[in-house]
Formats: sequence, structure tokens, C-alpha cells
Amino acid sequence: MKDTKKVWLTTFRYVVPAEYERWFEAQEASGWHVEKIGQWSSILMTLKKDKPRQYRYVVDMQFSRRKDYIALYEEFGWEFVGQMASAYVWRKEYTGERPESFTDQENIERRNRRFAIAVLINLILFSLTVLGLMIGFIVTFGKTDMGQKLQFILGMSLCAAFAAYLWYVWRKILKNRNR
Amino acid sequence: MDLSKAVKRYIPMSETMFYILLSLRQPNHGYGIMQQVKELTGDRVNMGAGTIYQSIGKLEGDGLIKPLREEDRKKIYEITDLGTQVLTIEAKRIRELYRNTEGLL
Repeated sequence: MKDTKKVWLTTFRYVVPAEYERWFEAQEASGWHVEKIGQWSSILMTLKKDKPRQYRYVVDMQFSRRKDYIALYEEFGWEFVGQMASAYVWRKEYTGERPESFTDQENIERRNRRFAIAVLINLILFSLTVLGLMIGFIVTFGKTDMGQKLQFILGMSLCAAFAAYLWYVWRKILKNRNR
Repeated sequence: MDLSKAVKRYIPMSETMFYILLSLRQPNHGYGIMQQVKELTGDRVNMGAGTIYQSIGKLEGDGLIKPLREEDRKKIYEITDLGTQVLTIEAKRIRELYRNTEGLL
């Protein structure tokens, strides 16, 4: 039996923070253990077969964390699994009641709002890229050949598709902001 | 932040903010705040790391608490004069609430 598995694009599939946490926890419960999370884990994550474990996972978004961020979480018994860009992943093994890091509604929503903002920033960037390509396409229309025109159209379509996906993600996070 | 703005933003106060301010009348760090509040409320209010970290950030940003020093990676905070004023106004509001519950129980 294979003792590792690779999972693609998890951050793009489980976009609501609470859902992503539950996904990690389900993996651990069925014996698929996350060894480490790094910058590229959002694209490709490696899980290792091990004994089933009951973990609580927490994902957090910190654009500029204070110096005491890591120490504070660790003192509360959280293990730092890793970070992907500004997204931090924490976990804690437990029995009994599932532990929480955000223990009141106001702070749950504040955490989720930061995820929404991160997505919104990317959405704006991709939308601007589409706009830029569109202007370039129109301005150079008379001077470009068919191949170059197709390149413009392909670039615009890809960026527009990704922007549409980000818009969907942004809406979904906002809709689930109280979880 | 001046007092009237702070009053607008913080009053009525969430339980989380109230107990963090209350516990920071003495210098303390994140984990210590959680322990103290747990004790004060007989285990009822058990604040998590994320809640405390975010609340400290907000209170510090608005000048209601300030960092005093660092002890092995931990930051020690204390309430400011502004924080004390806001806490006192909130305490008076709670006392009024309390008075108005008489006869209810």
C-alpha cells in the first residue's frame, strides 16, 4: 500500500476557512497526516499514511503579524504546521471537546474578513490585468497579426476566468463569514 | 484616539474586550489574560489564542492598552489612561443595567 498521497490545489478547493479546517481534520481522522506545510502546499500537498489522529486545525490570515503571534499561539498549545503566503495553519491534538482559537463571533468574523480581503485584492489585480490587456488589444488592433491577436484573446480569457473564480470565492467566504 | 471616539467604538463593550481590559489593570501577557479571565468567570469565559491576539491588536491600535516589555518572546501589556476611562464608563453602564434588573429575579 502506498504510504503517501499527493493532493492538488487544496486552498483553491476548500475556500471557506472553516471548510478547509474540516478537510484537514477529516484527513487526519482517516490516518492521512500532514507533515509540513510550505509555500507550495497550496498547489500540491503531500500527506503521509499514519495512525488516525483527532486534530483541531485552524487557518488564519495575517498580512503583518506582530512579533508575539507565534509565541502566543504556541503557549495556548497550538502547533505551527506552516504558512502559505499570509495564510497560517495551526493544529492541536485533542480528546473531548473540539478546541477553538476564535472563541467569539466578533473574532471569527474578523478572521474571515481578512480572508475575504486577501481574495478581493487578487480579484482587483486580475481584473486590472484583464482591463490592461483589453486596452492593449484595442490600441494595437491595426498593427497586430492574427497570432498576436489570439495571444491577447487567450491571455484575457484566462485572466477573466480566474477573476470570475475569485469573485465566486470572495462571495462564498462572505456568505460563510459567521462560521 | 480621543475619548469620545473610543466611547463610540467600544461602548457597549463585548465581554471579550471587557475582560481583557479588566485583567490588564495589572501587566499581563496573552496566555495570562486567558487564565485570569477563566478564573474570574468560573471557567465560563475561555478565550482562545486567535480571539486574544486579535483583540489585543485592536485595543493596542486604538490606544486602550500599551505594550510594556517583552519576556522570552511574550509581550506584556497594560491598560492606558484612555483604556481605564473607557472601562470605567462601561462599568457604570453595567451597574445601571444591574440596577434595572432588580425585581426581575
